[in-house]
Amino acid sequence: MQNEKTTVIQAQETPVIELKHVKKYFGDLYVLKDVSLSVKKGEVVVIIGPSGSGKSTLCRTINRLETVDEGEVLIEGKPLPQEGKQLARVRSQIGMVFQSYNLFSHKTILDNVTVGPTDVLHKSKKEARQEALELLKRVGVEDQADKVPAQLSGGQQQRVAIARSLAMHPKAILFDEPTSALDPELIGEVLAVMSELARENMTMVVVTHEMNFARKVADRIIFMDEGRILEENTPEEFFDYPKTQRAKDFLNSIQHHE
Amino acid sequence: MSVGTLLSQYGDKYLLALLTTWRLTFFAFLIAFAVGVIITVIRICPIRPLRLFGDFYVQIFRNIPGAALLILLVYAFPYIGLLWSYYTCVLIACSLIPSAFCSEYLMAGMNTIQVGQIEAARSLGMTFFQLVKNLVLPQALRTSVLQLTNLLVGTMLTTALASQVPMSSTDLTGIVSYINTHAVGGITAFAISAVLYCATALVIGCVGSWIDKKVRILR
Amino acid sequence: MNSQKTSIRDVLYEPPGPRTQKIITAITAVSLVALAALLAAVIRLFYINGQLDAKYWTLFTRFTTWRFIGQGLMGTLRAAAGAGVITFALGMAMMLCRISRYRLARAAGTALVEFTRGVPTLLFIYFFFLIVPQLGFTLSAYWKITLPVAISASGVVAEVLRSGVNAVPRGQSEAALSLGMRERSVFFKIVFPQAFRYVIPSMISELVIVLKDTTFAYVVTYADLMQNAKALISNYDALLSVYLVVAVIYILINYILNRISTALSERGKQR
Repeated sequence: MQNEKTTVIQAQETPVIELKHVKKYFGDLYVLKDVSLSVKKGEVVVIIGPSGSGKSTLCRTINRLETVDEGEVLIEGKPLPQEGKQLARVRSQIGMVFQSYNLFSHKTILDNVTVGPTDVLHKSKKEARQEALELLKRVGVEDQADKVPAQLSGGQQQRVAIARSLAMHPKAILFDEPTSALDPELIGEVLAVMSELARENMTMVVVTHEMNFARKVADRIIFMDEGRILEENTPEEFFDYPKTQRAKDFLNSIQHHE
Repeated sequence: MSVGTLLSQYGDKYLLALLTTWRLTFFAFLIAFAVGVIITVIRICPIRPLRLFGDFYVQIFRNIPGAALLILLVYAFPYIGLLWSYYTCVLIACSLIPSAFCSEYLMAGMNTIQVGQIEAARSLGMTFFQLVKNLVLPQALRTSVLQLTNLLVGTMLTTALASQVPMSSTDLTGIVSYINTHAVGGITAFAISAVLYCATALVIGCVGSWIDKKVRILR
Repeated sequence: MNSQKTSIRDVLYEPPGPRTQKIITAITAVSLVALAALLAAVIRLFYINGQLDAKYWTLFTRFTTWRFIGQGLMGTLRAAAGAGVITFALGMAMMLCRISRYRLARAAGTALVEFTRGVPTLLFIYFFFLIVPQLGFTLSAYWKITLPVAISASGVVAEVLRSGVNAVPRGQSEAALSLGMRERSVFFKIVFPQAFRYVIPSMISELVIVLKDTTFAYVVTYADLMQNAKALISNYDALLSVYLVVAVIYILINYILNRISTALSERGKQR
């Protein structure tokens, strides 16, 4: 996907997202055990692993939907602010797409996409509206603009959620199991939009169970189990030659499933 | 006594009584709503002692009988130097009790907001107040329309407490007792008041469900 | 994240950062001082008006006082229990009308529900206190308070019962009908028992309303807690303290009933 020259240039840049020795407890439960990770500009990092491995929690620490107990989260080299307007500003620059879509149920589809740009970025209503319509067209739901979320299918809602994130012109987008709540026949349309984004060099962190998507789209695979990163490799290496027994077991169980 | 003779004799008194009940209901509801909102803010704020105070307030006024509260205000409070007019006492009693229920309804409305939507608003970069303005207030208010309509009717029913103190203007309940102690109004006097109460409640109910239909959130 | 029961209280604020934490701690301290000041002001108000004098409060150390309060409370509970039973019967009848297949019965049911929900309890009390005697009926004080209180609550009870009946899955009655059960016995043996279980918490809340309404018993001079409080007051010349204690008793009883109701409804949701 990338030639060697760009890789060299990017290696010198500060990573968009960097986690250093992050530890996290839920009460007595130790969910993130000294996790370090860095994501470069334009990179697509896919995090996989069995449920309860801490991959969602990891994803949510990046914009402080979960706090960390130890270690550091850096966004473009600067520590993630802990509160207030500074935190809100950084969050506005990092998109997030959730498993349960989380569209604002009292707002129309169009308003869901424009509320961020107008209220957070202080763009004019007109400008926000125009751009929102373009984004809705891009994700293929432009004819639903005046409906409310409950009138749309899960797949359509999730595509709107992606458009909502894109409207903020984020530096990176976090996807927290974006297709896990979808009916099987609706998964494809969401993955297609995500692949398209990856092709356009969007920086993405994706937590997913979709192995085909991971193999095709990821620049790097992170395999997590019991709160640790056990493997970090290119998709080809990881899927064809997993190093740890855990990863082998996990891949086996997934393949039997599919 | 027939409706005609009763109305020709007491018609203007009934009109005044209806207006008294409406006016009391209106002001009591306004105060109840304002206090209810303030108490709700106190109950969800991150300051623990204030939260507990808010909960305490709601439990007191949810559970105290209206008559007991009115008697305290009218007969007991003067003993600690708080002497208020009958109208003030009635207005306070008719506002504080519904304010507790108002807060309960608003809390229930807010609890229907999905956590995920709050997280989504945060991850868009909304500050706390933007989150409240864009998500919490509209969703909480829109889901509690029917409850607040019932609260308005409930407030109207509570204002019958006014008949228990000698106020300058009698309300719709007081007038029945007034007529029956001055003349024999019988069942007609009761029926007129009852119809006026019911009609008011029905109008409030219809307007309420009309608004609810307009603003209800599809889920 | 999807099904766990969280209150808005726990999610509206994120885990505070260091600055926010400082602010919260500061406001907490200030609010503690303010609440303490409020309490002190109330106590001072009692003190400067002489309401903390022993003579107003020593009566509560006597057994006879509490026996008298207890007797009043029994009167209140008897009235509430009687009104509760009647309101249930009336509510049940109205609910059956509302779900009847006959249009006339449905209309009558709806009218009765709207009527009883739209008229204040006090007006019903005046009806039984002033007007029923004019019609030539003599009722004891007990019925003069229980009947109006019961009628006043019956419309809401009918609606609560109806919501319970509607909540029973249709498949239940279809299954019973397909077994050859008659419609009437399907309703009373299959549907209603389930419906009733759903609405027990709301019924307890309704009992709180009935109990509160019985405080109007003084209008018809029925000997309830309020009425006995009056006697205590004239005996000991201690108005404020007696009414305060009585109010606290009412609040506690209703609070406990409401807690039972919430506990039952939460247990119901878990199943």
